[in-house]
Amino acid sequence: MGQLLQQFINGLTIGSFYALIALGYTMVYGVLKLINFAHGDLFMLGAYLGLTLIGIALGAGLSASMLLSLVPILLAVMGIVAMVGIALERAAYRPLYRAGRLPAVVSALGASIFLQNFVMLTYGARYRVYPKGIFPEVLWTIGGARLYLEQIIMLVLAFLLMTGLYLFVQRTRAGTAMRAVALDHDTARLMGIDVYRIITLVFIIGPALGAAGGVMVGIFYGRIYFTMGWTYGLKAFIAAILGGIGNIPGAMLGGVLLGIIEALATGFVSDAWKNAIAFFILVLILILRPRGLLGERVAEKL
Amino acid sequence: MSKKLLISITLLLMLSIAVGCKPAAKEPIKIGLQAPITGEYAYEGEGFVKVIDLVVEQINEKGILGGRKIEIVKCDDMGKPDESSKCANQLVSAGVKAVVGSYSSTCTEPASEIYNEAGILQITPSSTATRLSQKGFQRFFRVCFLDDRQGLFAAKFMLEKLGADTAVFLHDNSTYAKGLAEWAEKYYKEAGGNSLLIDAINPEDTDFKPILTKIKGLNPKAVYFTGYHPQGGLLLKQSKELGADFYWVMGNACNNPEMIDIAGLDAAKGTYVTTEPLPKDIPGDVAKKFYNDFVAKYGEPPASIWWVMAGDALRVIVKAMEETNSTDPAKMAEYLHNEFANYPGITGNIIGFDEKGDRKGTVHVAYVITDAGEFELVK
Repeated sequence: MGQLLQQFINGLTIGSFYALIALGYTMVYGVLKLINFAHGDLFMLGAYLGLTLIGIALGAGLSASMLLSLVPILLAVMGIVAMVGIALERAAYRPLYRAGRLPAVVSALGASIFLQNFVMLTYGARYRVYPKGIFPEVLWTIGGARLYLEQIIMLVLAFLLMTGLYLFVQRTRAGTAMRAVALDHDTARLMGIDVYRIITLVFIIGPALGAAGGVMVGIFYGRIYFTMGWTYGLKAFIAAILGGIGNIPGAMLGGVLLGIIEALATGFVSDAWKNAIAFFILVLILILRPRGLLGERVAEKL
Repeated sequence: MSKKLLISITLLLMLSIAVGCKPAAKEPIKIGLQAPITGEYAYEGEGFVKVIDLVVEQINEKGILGGRKIEIVKCDDMGKPDESSKCANQLVSAGVKAVVGSYSSTCTEPASEIYNEAGILQITPSSTATRLSQKGFQRFFRVCFLDDRQGLFAAKFMLEKLGADTAVFLHDNSTYAKGLAEWAEKYYKEAGGNSLLIDAINPEDTDFKPILTKIKGLNPKAVYFTGYHPQGGLLLKQSKELGADFYWVMGNACNNPEMIDIAGLDAAKGTYVTTEPLPKDIPGDVAKKFYNDFVAKYGEPPASIWWVMAGDALRVIVKAMEETNSTDPAKMAEYLHNEFANYPGITGNIIGFDEKGDRKGTVHVAYVITDAGEFELVK
């Protein structure tokens, strides 16, 4: 029983990271029908920038467990990566919107390779390690399962970011405009919406959330690497499809579900078979629901 | 055109060919280095380059085969099998006579096929998967020791030294790690141990808590992980977070201080590593001298045994060239199989190679990570 609960906690933690990254894929897809393969690498860039800024903060005399100093660091990283996101959209995607969808996808792959190599060359090809002890080690044992304060902070933070995004899209004017653009670019333009501004907004929010995920993964697991964007990106992309791509609650559900399926497959079958089992379930779900779990509202995505 | 002119042109041409021929004998001898200079195992690949540069520097002071220099042609296989094949083809076209490389068995395997076909002598410093030498390649050698011998050592160590009669074996599905885990499990069972589980992690993952939760539930006395140090570090960190209290024993791919950085000292201390001895613990004057030379050149000691193994791979190639007075891979291979014996290496005495090209003997030892974060020899 303790083991099952522990596996749920494990899966929920992994899944919430997948979900946070999946949001970036799903938003860009919803608005542009473009799979932004560089998104995983923006997440990775966030992890590296977080490392640099935490290093600077520690160098300036802040102790490792200064939780409050993490807030400005997180915001700064999100800001910088959002700017990279805007630059990426201007340089790699905007010139290609008229060329159709395939050239933009190829361009996204190119941007991904560029970002990876950029980080490899500036930070070096070795694993980098976050400083230890950023969060105080507080631990609860519930029915044999172990839960750390750090895990709760990560889960709450991920949940807050995702809920914030959901409310923003559903309740604000800009969010409404974003949904309108997702439905139809031309009609949205006729309604007086500046489509390019909305696209820019998407490329601010998506990369910023990805960057937050990067810093969180860095702090939580402690070890970052310049190809981590691919691994996480792939899983997050699958999570987005599982939940219904273009659908924000779907991305969250897909991410958490994928994390839990993986954890349970490892716990009760075999770690070696984990991916095979997870993808088998994915295929099953897609056969039964080709648009993903929450993808039924075809008319109104995002 | 007059006859005189024709003759003089012909003479001139012949002369130029003759002149062109002479430096050809003094041309540098090309030797390939295939290593993961970037990518997952860049730490080892960079170390290979450092050691090889130093060895080449020392050899080129005098030169070999009547003053010829050695020229190293490097190729970066990024630790990936597909890049490895590309590298092998590239080095073959570059005209190398012998190759040092590659690091991981997964990369060495496809490359060895290509080198074998091209008739090139290959010595791997660090690929220990048993099956690499089972293919009957006459010009394939290794200066490291086989997985099965490390597996035997690990099984005995867990049973006899740690008194662990139940154990879990964990690998990462790479050629090397899987082989080592399976050998270790086999010998462990034969010696009376109870193997509770053998499973593979996915090295791309960063969260190993699901598998660790499962292992903790099985309640083994020891876990033998045969994968690489970046994953080893995370396993240690996360198993401590889960409150696991079994012994961690790691294979020789975790013989790397970077693992302690990743795990954090708190989680890493008390971990055992079965491996060849660290550079500082290698016996022999030649080894000691090289260790000091390395420190003098780079200001820090060689961090991993595999770096030094790369140096010995090159030194064995050069020795074979000098003894056979040729750069013919077939002649060199014959010499290494039959005559080469008791060569003082920078990784200890090299007794010789058997008919499969595997280095004879064994040097495996166990280290424990101390409270100060040092690898200390277990006596």
